[in-house]
Amino acid sequence: MKILYAEDEKQLSMAVTEILKLEGYEVDAVYDGQEAWDMLRTNYYDAAVLDIMMPKMDGMEVLSKLRASENYVPVLMLTAKSAIDDKIDGLSLGADDYLSKPFAMKEMIARLNSMIRRTMSYKHKVLKHSNITLDCDTSELKTEDGSLRLSTKESELLALFIKQNKPFSAEKINELLWNKQQSESTVVLYISYLRNKLSQIHSLVNIFQTDDGYAMEATD
Amino acid sequence: MITKDREFYGIYADPLEKTQQDLLQEIHIILNKLTTDPEQAPAEHIRSRIKSSDSIREKLTLHGLEATPLNGLTELSDAIGLRIVTHFVGDVYLILIEIENHENWQIMTVKDYISTPKPNGYRSLHVIVQIPFCFGELEHLNIEIQLRTIAMDCWASLEHQLKYKKNIRDTRLIVDELKRCSDEMASTDLTMQTIRDMIRSN
Repeated sequence: MKILYAEDEKQLSMAVTEILKLEGYEVDAVYDGQEAWDMLRTNYYDAAVLDIMMPKMDGMEVLSKLRASENYVPVLMLTAKSAIDDKIDGLSLGADDYLSKPFAMKEMIARLNSMIRRTMSYKHKVLKHSNITLDCDTSELKTEDGSLRLSTKESELLALFIKQNKPFSAEKINELLWNKQQSESTVVLYISYLRNKLSQIHSLVNIFQTDDGYAMEATD
Repeated sequence: MITKDREFYGIYADPLEKTQQDLLQEIHIILNKLTTDPEQAPAEHIRSRIKSSDSIREKLTLHGLEATPLNGLTELSDAIGLRIVTHFVGDVYLILIEIENHENWQIMTVKDYISTPKPNGYRSLHVIVQIPFCFGELEHLNIEIQLRTIAMDCWASLEHQLKYKKNIRDTRLIVDELKRCSDEMASTDLTMQTIRDMIRSN
């Protein structure tokens, strides 16, 4: 589970990040709203924790930009204890839950888990990354300039790259998608299918062979 | 050409038919340049037509022009239309390069609806080419060449039926399904192209 955590108080951020990591979450910590928006826009996350009061862009603005771009990553807002209006505004802008500061770590983890569980069914259906959208139910892959229907395996492969956004070896892909039942050439061929299909719909990202394996990167 | 159209085109009827035949021959020369092996032939088939007088009249009237044969040849770009249907999507672009390199032809426009499909799912590459046509006061003629794969051709013929049949039930469903079908076929076209590239690189 990958989480974006936007909090401008560095001490608090470091402490919370450490505890979340111990709980098994992968955490990207950022310290202002602009950074939060940039990361959320370009990477896949299972959930986001946004502090309301942040420099450059506040949590509310990040949230409303997210929803305006049809990004429905589950969002937990961090509000000041007394700020009832913040809670209401956050929820009406599309936050999934809120937590008043100061909070107990146990409660944050419980709320994150329950939020992720609730939104799992929708979240896994539609993945967005860069300018591409992949509907995992229908295998429809699209950008503003075109659309294609992928095969089930192609869709699973692309979902893997979007969700984890890290390099994979052909061997690892073979294990994750085919239980090691295929040859490495099959993996290479499926990567080629995806490469050609992503470029056909004018995707701004594609799958490239890097020193660490196959990875999703921006095209030139 | 049927009598009605022959009467409409008048003195232009014969030169148009001659030009149509010459064009087909030129296209065959181009295709033979790419390969002479029938197994590898890029074009599955080629069709051509001279625009019907009804269709010319309709289009000219739509543009607010007088429906004369001369207007049909100078104001429209598809009095003669050619369609080259290929097996693979890559072949469309190989043929396009040859068309662009033809010494007596000048490319006027290229509309690539394969790279950027129409919202309904229509995919094809349309090229307007200016060719020599020395007849009467004319020196050139614009003609249209459409290039597409068998899958795209099949899809277009189905979509055409939808467009010209009135009062179809479940139109919304059919439109959505046609779009999905186009996306699936385009995906398969690319899969086949990828496999072919892989075989050839061996």
